[in-house]
Amino acid sequence: MSAFTTETPSEIIHSPAELREKKDRRRAISLLTPGLLWMVLFMVLPMGMVIYVSFWTQTTFSVNSTLTTASWERFLSSSTYLGAIWTTLRIWLIVLIATIVVGYPVALFIGLFVRNKTLQTALLVACVIPFWTSFLIRVIAWRPMLGTEGAINVILLKLGIISEPLTFLLFSEFSVLVGMTQIYCVFMVGPITFMLGRIDVSVIEAARDLGASFGTIFRRIILPLSLPGVMVGSIFVSVMVLGEFATAASLSGRKVNLLGNIIVSQVGSLKWAFAAVAGVVLTIIITAVIALALRLVDLRKEM
Amino acid sequence: MLTLSRVSRRYGETIALDGVDFVVPENTYMSLLGASGAGKTTLLRLIAGFEEPDQGEISINGERIDGQPTHLRDIGFVFQNFALFPHLTVAQNVAFGLRYRTNAPLTNETEIKDRTEEALELVGLTGFGHRAVSAISGGQRQRVALARTLICEPRIVLLDEPLGALDANLRSRMCDELKAIRERLGVSFLHVTGSETEALTMGDKVAVLANGRIMQTDAPDTLFSHPGNADAARHLNAWNIFDASLCRTSALDGMIAVRFDQMDVSAAGTGPADRPTLAAKYLTGEFNGPTALSFFRADDGTLFQIVDHLSQPRLPDLVEGQRYDLHFPPQALRQFHGAA
Repeated sequence: MSAFTTETPSEIIHSPAELREKKDRRRAISLLTPGLLWMVLFMVLPMGMVIYVSFWTQTTFSVNSTLTTASWERFLSSSTYLGAIWTTLRIWLIVLIATIVVGYPVALFIGLFVRNKTLQTALLVACVIPFWTSFLIRVIAWRPMLGTEGAINVILLKLGIISEPLTFLLFSEFSVLVGMTQIYCVFMVGPITFMLGRIDVSVIEAARDLGASFGTIFRRIILPLSLPGVMVGSIFVSVMVLGEFATAASLSGRKVNLLGNIIVSQVGSLKWAFAAVAGVVLTIIITAVIALALRLVDLRKEM
Repeated sequence: MLTLSRVSRRYGETIALDGVDFVVPENTYMSLLGASGAGKTTLLRLIAGFEEPDQGEISINGERIDGQPTHLRDIGFVFQNFALFPHLTVAQNVAFGLRYRTNAPLTNETEIKDRTEEALELVGLTGFGHRAVSAISGGQRQRVALARTLICEPRIVLLDEPLGALDANLRSRMCDELKAIRERLGVSFLHVTGSETEALTMGDKVAVLANGRIMQTDAPDTLFSHPGNADAARHLNAWNIFDASLCRTSALDGMIAVRFDQMDVSAAGTGPADRPTLAAKYLTGEFNGPTALSFFRADDGTLFQIVDHLSQPRLPDLVEGQRYDLHFPPQALRQFHGAA
């Protein structure tokens, strides 16, 4: 082998297959480079920086790069911050379940019962209409809806169902849950609709022909085949809800503190090291949730 | 016995089925032959209950089934694309009906397992139960689809172009197997196809569906040699159908038909006097192996096809563009009344 290579001059004649392979590899690298650069510059480096900063020394008004675990110790020993982790997880789980409960039937209708592609698209676009206005307006619009003199209370009072306004509706965990479910529901509807739309009608007909009732078909055929969609939707919703702060800030009346709110307030008071700790914790939680979701459904197999 | 009487189905302006009267007797392999778009699939979907007829009645052994929900009809349907459940294994696919049907589902796992193995053995797939349906070949999927349907012991099995998705080699093998399986089970099969060879090979009886109606139902040999009308003859792809006035010597009129293999060719002007003769131009020939097909065009534009068997050639050497006399024995022709 070595004798062969020494005898061959430096311009080795490549076979067409080798040339093609080389060209393909060069093309793949040139396609990947911009994305890789972007990720390294704006994700990997900042992540490393955040972890680094979380070990800096924090004094009341400044931060210096002497390494210490003080911020971590304070975070992990404070019931307020541990409580925030718990609140974040609780709200995430409830919103996730709520978006599935509200979104799945909608997706079932659009994806399975509407067989006209144009109408399907139109209905999906209709789901996105609330997004034509700004995030903040969408959230704040819940105030006149849920407030003590808001639409719901007024209607219930007029109908005589309640005798005095319900106060738990606004500036409570409830209003945060309602607001988040409304905002993130569409991210659940989309992927599920897509998965349901891909189910071959004849598969459902086959199940009917084999004697299965609608309930059985739903449980044994439709639901399992749409699970990857639920999983993708869950990942979307999870990532967004876990990092949320705006809905909680404007609808909870400062009663609900999520990890996101802690980061905002710590950054606001220039407590960089402490904000970094919360940021790392949040990233770990999100990574764990996504890893769990991917463990539950093998997307590579299902897509 | 499955009976359809005066069954009609319209889609908007289009009439798919127009008063179909049709009977599938017990223990019969019935082929239903029709061109694409003739309403074959619609007919099956009405029987299975995926759609309801606009008019007419469908009944099994005298019991009306139209209007009943699909899952209570107890009819087997084998889909053209097989419609296997992609997330289940072969065995789970086959056991689906037993396990999840509304009427008398089985709960005993041992029994389900035994019946599944039995069904897989019937279609020659012993040992394939644990495979994913994506990990088996087209022919094997076809067998899984069949086993999945047969395991429920339906009152009749509907097959929607079941061989259409298979390659030619596999198709002829499945033909034999389908027939053998049916004979072993003694259940009626209604096999829908667009291929006349398939219909004639498979069927104990063959029905021809055209223009939304059943044109003729007969044993394959009877149908082939004595089509009752021009539509039935046209679907067999073995008959030249033409206006009798094309013939020089005969006193016939109306539409007549002569089989491809019963026409002879002579040089122009030399057709025998005792046989009906017509003039036509030779277009081209097609060599199919054991047979050769020659195409002629008559003066009114009618296309004629003549089959010559390689072992017993009847035709003279033909030159493209040349005119010839086509003739046939008078007893070979069939005359249709009324229908065009």
